[in-house]
Amino acid sequence: MLEQKFQVLIRRYPIKRSALVPMALYAQDVFGYVSEDLISEIANRLDLSPLHVNETLAYYSMIRRKPVGKYHVQVCTNVSCMLCGGNEVYDFVQKKLEIGNKQVTADGLFSLEEVECIGACTGAPAMQVNYDFYENLTERRTDDLLDALDMGSRPATSMPTSGSVHARHSAEAPVISRLFGVPDSHKLDVYLQHDGYKGLERALKQLTSDQVIEEVKKSNLRGCGGAGFPTGAKWGFVPKESAKPKYILCNADESEPGTCKDRPLMEMVPHQLIEGVVIAGRAVGAHRGYIYIRGEYRYVLEIVDAAIEEAYAHGYLGQNIMGSGFDFDLATHTGAGAYECGEESALMESLEGKRGYPRIRPPFPAVVGLYGSPTVINNVETLSAVPSILHRGGEWYSGLGSPKNGGTRLFCISGHVNRPGIYELPMGFNLRRMIEEVAGGIRGGRRLKAVIPGGSSCPLLKAEEIDLPMDFDSLAKAGSMLGSGGLVVIDEGTCMVDLARRIMHFYAHESCGWCIPCREGTDWLRKMLDRFHSGGGRREDIALIGELSKNMLGRTFCPLGDAAALPTMSIVKKWPDEFEKHLAGMCPYQPAEMLTATRA
Amino acid sequence: MAETAQIKFRLDDRELAVPPGTLVIEVARQQGIEIPSFCYYPGLALQAACRMCLVEVEKAPKLQTACTLVAVNGMVVRTNTPQVHEARKSMLEFLLANHPLDCPVCDKGGECELQDMTFRYGADRSRFAEEKLHVPEVRWSNVVYYDAPRCILCFRCVRVCDEGMDVKALGVGQRGAHSVIIPNRDGYLECVECGMCIDICPVGALTSGTYRYQTRPWEMQYVPTVCPHCSNGCKTTLSVRNHEILRANNRDLSGYNGDFLCAKGRFAFDFTRQPERLNQPLIRLGGRLEPTSWQEALQTVASRLATIRKQNGPDAIAFYGSNRTTNEENYLLGRIARASVGTNNVDHHRTADYAGLMALAATLAGSDSTSGGSTHSGSGRIFATMRDLESALALLLISNDATEQSPLVAWQIRTAIRHHRARLYILDSREQQLHRKAQDFVLFSRGQEAAAIARLSASGSGTVDASERDLDRRVRALRDALAGENDLIVLFGAAVQGAALARLGEFARERAALGKRTRFMALGDYANSRGAADMGLLPDLLPGYAPIANPAARQFFGELWGATLSEKAGLDSRVMLSAAAAGRLKALYVVGANPAKKTNFVGSKRMGMLDLLVVQDLYLSETARLADIVLPALSGFEKSGTMTNTAGEVQLVCKGGDFMGARSDFDILRIISFQLAQQGLGEPIRLRTPDAAFEEISRQVPGYGVSWTGLLSGAAEATRPNPASANGHGFAEAAEGVIFSSNDSLFTSGSLTPYCRMIRSLREAGATL
Repeated sequence: MLEQKFQVLIRRYPIKRSALVPMALYAQDVFGYVSEDLISEIANRLDLSPLHVNETLAYYSMIRRKPVGKYHVQVCTNVSCMLCGGNEVYDFVQKKLEIGNKQVTADGLFSLEEVECIGACTGAPAMQVNYDFYENLTERRTDDLLDALDMGSRPATSMPTSGSVHARHSAEAPVISRLFGVPDSHKLDVYLQHDGYKGLERALKQLTSDQVIEEVKKSNLRGCGGAGFPTGAKWGFVPKESAKPKYILCNADESEPGTCKDRPLMEMVPHQLIEGVVIAGRAVGAHRGYIYIRGEYRYVLEIVDAAIEEAYAHGYLGQNIMGSGFDFDLATHTGAGAYECGEESALMESLEGKRGYPRIRPPFPAVVGLYGSPTVINNVETLSAVPSILHRGGEWYSGLGSPKNGGTRLFCISGHVNRPGIYELPMGFNLRRMIEEVAGGIRGGRRLKAVIPGGSSCPLLKAEEIDLPMDFDSLAKAGSMLGSGGLVVIDEGTCMVDLARRIMHFYAHESCGWCIPCREGTDWLRKMLDRFHSGGGRREDIALIGELSKNMLGRTFCPLGDAAALPTMSIVKKWPDEFEKHLAGMCPYQPAEMLTATRA
Repeated sequence: MAETAQIKFRLDDRELAVPPGTLVIEVARQQGIEIPSFCYYPGLALQAACRMCLVEVEKAPKLQTACTLVAVNGMVVRTNTPQVHEARKSMLEFLLANHPLDCPVCDKGGECELQDMTFRYGADRSRFAEEKLHVPEVRWSNVVYYDAPRCILCFRCVRVCDEGMDVKALGVGQRGAHSVIIPNRDGYLECVECGMCIDICPVGALTSGTYRYQTRPWEMQYVPTVCPHCSNGCKTTLSVRNHEILRANNRDLSGYNGDFLCAKGRFAFDFTRQPERLNQPLIRLGGRLEPTSWQEALQTVASRLATIRKQNGPDAIAFYGSNRTTNEENYLLGRIARASVGTNNVDHHRTADYAGLMALAATLAGSDSTSGGSTHSGSGRIFATMRDLESALALLLISNDATEQSPLVAWQIRTAIRHHRARLYILDSREQQLHRKAQDFVLFSRGQEAAAIARLSASGSGTVDASERDLDRRVRALRDALAGENDLIVLFGAAVQGAALARLGEFARERAALGKRTRFMALGDYANSRGAADMGLLPDLLPGYAPIANPAARQFFGELWGATLSEKAGLDSRVMLSAAAAGRLKALYVVGANPAKKTNFVGSKRMGMLDLLVVQDLYLSETARLADIVLPALSGFEKSGTMTNTAGEVQLVCKGGDFMGARSDFDILRIISFQLAQQGLGEPIRLRTPDAAFEEISRQVPGYGVSWTGLLSGAAEATRPNPASANGHGFAEAAEGVIFSSNDSLFTSGSLTPYCRMIRSLREAGATL
């Protein structure tokens, strides 16, 4: 079985080394951990030195060098989960299993790990047991779950993603999520019944490649991974003529805390993504693509793999697609736990089987990308919008949104709201209405304090700043970012210092370590915010937190440094009084005993 | 490059024009504008990781890294603004956050780039109040120690090991602030132990097993000199305290070896301080070697030589010179043999056919009409220098495992391949590491050198007997590839001699006829192998390869040395030893050599037939143990003079350490000449110092008229042998078995090996490629 997987993986890429991380992860699934022997075995098969296998694997947090329990319980305590009781779930599991972080029970049955955002924010608090998702946890539910596992049963997992299927709000404009909730929407025949592959057919049979790009340009579609770069323009940068093969990469390494939209898009409408990838290939003249899916989304990867197989079987992938003469091959690639690999150049390094370090730019991926070849890299949501654009026209899509911000977005609203969920709304939809009307307002009748508008790397907005249209340009004007569309809603009972602390923990954990300011800055700030929040703060620390963040900003190799600096700076600037209150020696929001143990 | 093709941009207050593709950090350095950096290292891959080189670029929203910033027309770069200063200060603050600040006990303290930069650009106070990350120091090998907390992760070590050495023994473990450098085995290193990673480390993260915790940098004096081991002549910097060498490294960077030193150059200086080192002359009394005074020893040598000469004639005496003594010492030894004693019985262990190369050059100089017979300048230059290798476009390496035997040559070849895609071709009877960098290589059986080389020429593949048919087939592709190379450097080892070398000449002449350039480098074994040949420690050739058979040459040196030189060619090294066994030779004078070990010279038997065996050496070698008189000598690290590398480039040797009781070979030989003169043999040598001797050499030895200023400023000065003036001597083929390589590895150094204890420990620990 594993042997077969290895064979498939080694053949999947033009360069064998690309198979390194997937091979190690699949082998770990079988053996429980990665042993020295396994490293030598992989090195042999890939013609690498054990050192290069070792150093690559050391980078990925899902790769374990020691055995874990039969049930590896991974509790998320990142922002959305923390706001909804993730810490309490984690403490409960600790007490119940009588083990700490990264420890294994004496009987070897359970192990525990406190993990970063697993992409279940609208189902917070959440955990994974091995690859299974369990969401909307309470102590009671967690207790039952662990008992059931102990008894040898496998409780039903949370799929589809909590919050993705719900009664539609009248303001919603479902385009890419139109099949959410439709039975068997992941299957080809269901997709075909809902205009599936019609965009591709038009792109292949009615349009030239330039016309495809033109259509996307007209749509004003902008990158939904976070940066918001116009997709049509990005495609236009790829040289027409290239001695090397070109590639389409789909970035499905969804890891930005507060964001869980790519997961339901792939688990419920994988063909829409496949169609989008093939259209992108048609537009730039690429004939091979990879979907890089974060390692935690194993079940999603399996769904996408099945869809790819279906697409091959029915001529939507492979040779002579839909009789057009156009060929395209597509495969998935699993990550293994690294936020940084969501950065496009780090993703390419990772896909080449190396440590996920970002690359020096220029040259840009459109010219020198994967395997040194011209490469288009787009987010899942972006590519998922492409089939509808090609089917119904760029102008139609553009008209759904606000000027220069075409179409719709999936907004993942998590945190202290009554109806956390994933809602497809027109670009430019008012943020206040989004929280109050769409997501049902603040839980328990409390007051709103803050909003993270697009994933945890965005500067936070205060309650009085939320009367604005949710699009790239309006958020930029308001000093923040639309980012990944992951909104985290924070109520008045939340300690903003604790929030800043938790955010910094994430970035320090995920810093790749390549450049000095990010590697050292995030680690320093993490330690300082820990100390500060637990009552050890000094007055001068308040300015220092802001200053160190500023010293990272714009000076790091890749945007991860900015991602750590921006929310921190905004919290220091907008809630200075909360820092002042901690100078009394304790957190005003939490009882003193809560602070004795410093957690991740 | 034409002026129009230049890029014009502004750097601070200067309007500059540079070639397209130039990095701003490089321009700044050439202009004397300092842009600090840790990760940027010339010649290695760009990283942009340390962020120290951030500069302001007009119209760019953020600061840019000068190390990746390519100058473009109209660009305005500022390196000296408040924003830039502030950025540098904050980077250093970040760097110091987890740095242990154990500078008072850190080996690097005083010569640390992080200290220097903090001093210049850093903050005046620390704001860090958190606990620092700590992990214990690790011993990766006998010579390499890693202290992770001090590491700033500039990745210089990883790159130099990978890109420079092609060893790839270092990588990165963990992630984020926990990132560390990791060795290729579980917690330890298995590599060539070159120590490049230690020298290139800007901080005290990688320290040397031979140097750590010995001293402080400011307590030492620094002496740049030439490595005394192989023939590549790398510049090494000795760190000396109280005449004792505590470290050899490459801080000086002034040699053509640039960053490079191998394990021997860096760690094999301990042979100067082993307890067995000879510190007084020994004389054989009643069958045993007993200590004696210098006066007694030297007088005895002279009087006994005089007696033997009187009784048996000058040709009953022979001189066996060294591959490691200086040019001046070799020159003196040749003069004593030929002028004081009056014999041509002088030779040494020859490790490359330099004389053959001169003969080859003579035929080429005649055939190449474009060169006008000049061998040392312009397009007609026949001899390649060490620097030429680095910029070579194509290289043919024959019968030399360069990585092991000529480590700098291998480094230069790798650099040429890495920096401008030079093509390497290998022809050898053994596998070697460079094969993986080679465009093409042909393996042949031992002894097939001449047959293989002959097949490189169009004329060489005439009759093919069955045994060579396969060879013929394999060489054919190589020959075709070489035909496409317009500028080729041919490097060859000891096995390419005599007939094989003559074939190489045919190959080069054919190329010359087609207008294709060919340059050569013979690869010998030891620090002054070339110098020994150049200075005429050969039975048939005078200094500068003038044949002893040539009356004019004899007369020239005879007049210079105040004697009539014998026209009878002397005994070569092998015949010397068998003649001694046969009782035809009565006295053998060995300087810095150990023939009893290197040949089948069955010591006790054959030496026993000699009336007198004199040995000058550092240790009681196999040969010295048989001697009647042993004179303790200083090593190459303990004296001044010049040595000539295998490419024929002269460099200054500077006295670093000292050793009480021993004398330089120069002094010993000079005194011997006085003692012999008192016995009525020849003129005393009045050249009081090595400087004076080199002055005579540079005036009188063909090719050695090099720039004294250049030598003094530390340069390698290429000699200009003029084979045309060697009076038309053709291939004076050396007898079978006279020229052979010791096949030293990275971890051996001939007879010094037993006394290079650190190097031996590395080999025993299984250091490997």
